[in-house]
Amino acid sequence: MNDATIKEGRYLYCAVSIPDRESDFSVTGVDDEPTALIAIDDVGLVVHECNSLYDTDEVDLLRKWLLQHQQVVDAVGACFGTPLPFRFDTIIRGNDDRVREWAHEQADGLSRHLDTLSGFWEYHVGVTVEERELEAGLEARDEQLQEITTRIDESETDGGTNFLLEKQYKQRLAVLKRRRRDERARTLCDRLADIAHEVHDRDTGQRSIDLTDSKDDEDDRMTAQLARLTLLAHEDREEEIGDILDDVAVKPGVTVRFTGPWPPYTFTPAIGDEQECKNATN
Amino acid sequence: MRPTKRDDDAVVDLLDVILRDGAVLEADVIITVADIPLVGLKLRAALAGMTTMTKYGIFEEWDWRYRHRARAEITEESHSHSKNTNE
Repeated sequence: MNDATIKEGRYLYCAVSIPDRESDFSVTGVDDEPTALIAIDDVGLVVHECNSLYDTDEVDLLRKWLLQHQQVVDAVGACFGTPLPFRFDTIIRGNDDRVREWAHEQADGLSRHLDTLSGFWEYHVGVTVEERELEAGLEARDEQLQEITTRIDESETDGGTNFLLEKQYKQRLAVLKRRRRDERARTLCDRLADIAHEVHDRDTGQRSIDLTDSKDDEDDRMTAQLARLTLLAHEDREEEIGDILDDVAVKPGVTVRFTGPWPPYTFTPAIGDEQECKNATN
Repeated sequence: MRPTKRDDDAVVDLLDVILRDGAVLEADVIITVADIPLVGLKLRAALAGMTTMTKYGIFEEWDWRYRHRARAEITEESHSHSKNTNE
């Protein structure tokens, strides 16, 4: 916590449909605060009382808060079905009545989004391939690489020509590897797109903030990222997605990571303005 | 294969998603991540590739001033809002 106090506020975790259900729900939330469910007709909002923002320069603490946030949203999902998760550290000024007032204003939008997302979850797919598998057989199929190899064999071992040819070889190999990787990724993407409601290709390079303790190791340099995808899919299609990934995982040198089901963080709208179709990854 | 939630790397990956995504609520009474200077700053620094510079203290003073000012604004807004509500 920090010194930016709010007189009275409610930290918002998520909204969820609660038709004909008891609105009795409480788990431990961010900063070990007890959560509560505020029912507004058939929509429930999970909150905790707070009077300060959650700001820290300690990565461990931020990681703990994010995990606690996720644990609450996860528990809500397990209890009531797909929640509409709010962004971390979304706080509404005021008390429970102010939350109800705001929720009434947004009732149509919240209900519509919850209906749309009902039964849908977010899944993450990461596929890596060993570099040597990506290279396998490329020279046998590419005339240009074969020609460069022949010229390398004919040139003086330590000469300048040899050096340049080696460089040419590496460049051509890199192009072919990239093409092969893109082709495989596209094939996987197309197959998954037939089953999932939405497939997002995630930017593999950037994380918002480094929340890991790990450093680069040798393994990272020996493997290449083939695909890093985020899927919005109905829970009934989960098995089919797994089957497709099994097909990919049996190929030599390939490792597949399939995680979920997560609350649909990536596929949530902006609520309360005209641009409700906002999506953070677009 | 079946999806898992027990993969440590996957959780770290998810935390980044939680920090960046989730429904954004647009209303006067809402304070969102956009108002939180440090997290916001870290996001921007990472995206702009300035992480290293921040790490070595180049932006520390600016960071401090930025956060201090933003916190003051938020506190002020909060107080004026509660004042208006009370009126």
